[in-house]
Amino acid sequence: MPKVSVEDLKPGMKLAKPLSRGNMVLLGEGTVLNETWIARIGDMGIEAIFVEGPSEQPVPKEEAIRQLDERFRNVLSQPYMNRIKKMVKEHIEGLYV
Amino acid sequence: MSDKIDIRTLRGNVESINALPTVPSTLRRISVMMEKPSIGLDELGRLISNDPALTVRILKMINSAAYGFPGRISSVSHATMLLGLSVIKGLLIGVSVFELMEKTMIGLWEHSLGCTVVTRMIAQKKGLKEPEEVSVCGLLHDIGKAVLMLQYAEAYDKAMQKAEKDGINIHEAEIDYFMVNHAEVGHWLVQKWHFPMNLVETIRYHHHPNLSKQSPMETAIVHVADVLVRAKGVGYPGDLVVPAVHPAAWEMLNLSDNDIGDILRNLEDAASFARETI
Repeated sequence: MPKVSVEDLKPGMKLAKPLSRGNMVLLGEGTVLNETWIARIGDMGIEAIFVEGPSEQPVPKEEAIRQLDERFRNVLSQPYMNRIKKMVKEHIEGLYV
Repeated sequence: MSDKIDIRTLRGNVESINALPTVPSTLRRISVMMEKPSIGLDELGRLISNDPALTVRILKMINSAAYGFPGRISSVSHATMLLGLSVIKGLLIGVSVFELMEKTMIGLWEHSLGCTVVTRMIAQKKGLKEPEEVSVCGLLHDIGKAVLMLQYAEAYDKAMQKAEKDGINIHEAEIDYFMVNHAEVGHWLVQKWHFPMNLVETIRYHHHPNLSKQSPMETAIVHVADVLVRAKGVGYPGDLVVPAVHPAAWEMLNLSDNDIGDILRNLEDAASFARETI
């Protein structure tokens, strides 16, 4: 779920989270953006919003996993660290689907 | 070792941070004010309101995902009423110290914001009454690193290089250069600034949560948050390897797979927020 700045919003993108001000929901989750909505969002001074779809990742998946292995290299024999690593690995892999 | 810094001198220097020429005037004013044993919310509110840049930064923090009042708080007086004295004090120190540090230790701000988000999430999941107070502990847990870096840039650089080269954690490498680690240094400072006991203890024992007597739960939360943020690789805490989690602290929190997945997803937002606030 990438956070996209207002200048980069395009018609057809779908809101991944409801857009709200205070307690009032302005646009519901799943709203498909059109030119008008995008202009209004800009007018409200909102800087960026979450849209559906995979986020752009700074490094390729193999590199992200290699860095993860590096980070955990000292502690894999310690209690609970395997479980933590496994969960982070699953999370990282989920970012590339 | 002769090039080590004597602890008493170190403590003296850390505690007289106001006298440093490199300390920006905002931070100096905040630090002087915090040294007073009693300080009122209105006095703090005035200090923030009189500084437009500080006002913007504080409101941005409070309205971010890290504090969970997105888009709702538009004035300093509203913020002080809602969050209370110790949270506002912590935020003030947090934004003024870490923005300064971002220039010299890239990624410490991102690491600290990540810990702010995770401590608050765990505190909420565990039903603690004041999750915002715990999240301030997350924000400030590494303040000792910022201060050591500010006063002993060269020695601290060497400690970071040693940590990277030897594949150890920064709190271990620090001992070689300062005889104490950043947790001890940070606790001197927040004690001097009259922060509440739970904050003092979480900072002092975030690498040894078993030693906390007054706030074992809060300290365990900060410790586990630190490990999870490092595990995810958010920011740069001064080294490249994840330390082992303290088993008793992990067991005390007893997080489910769902909890951890939830935390990791929220960390994605924290990382992008950190980049926006600089």
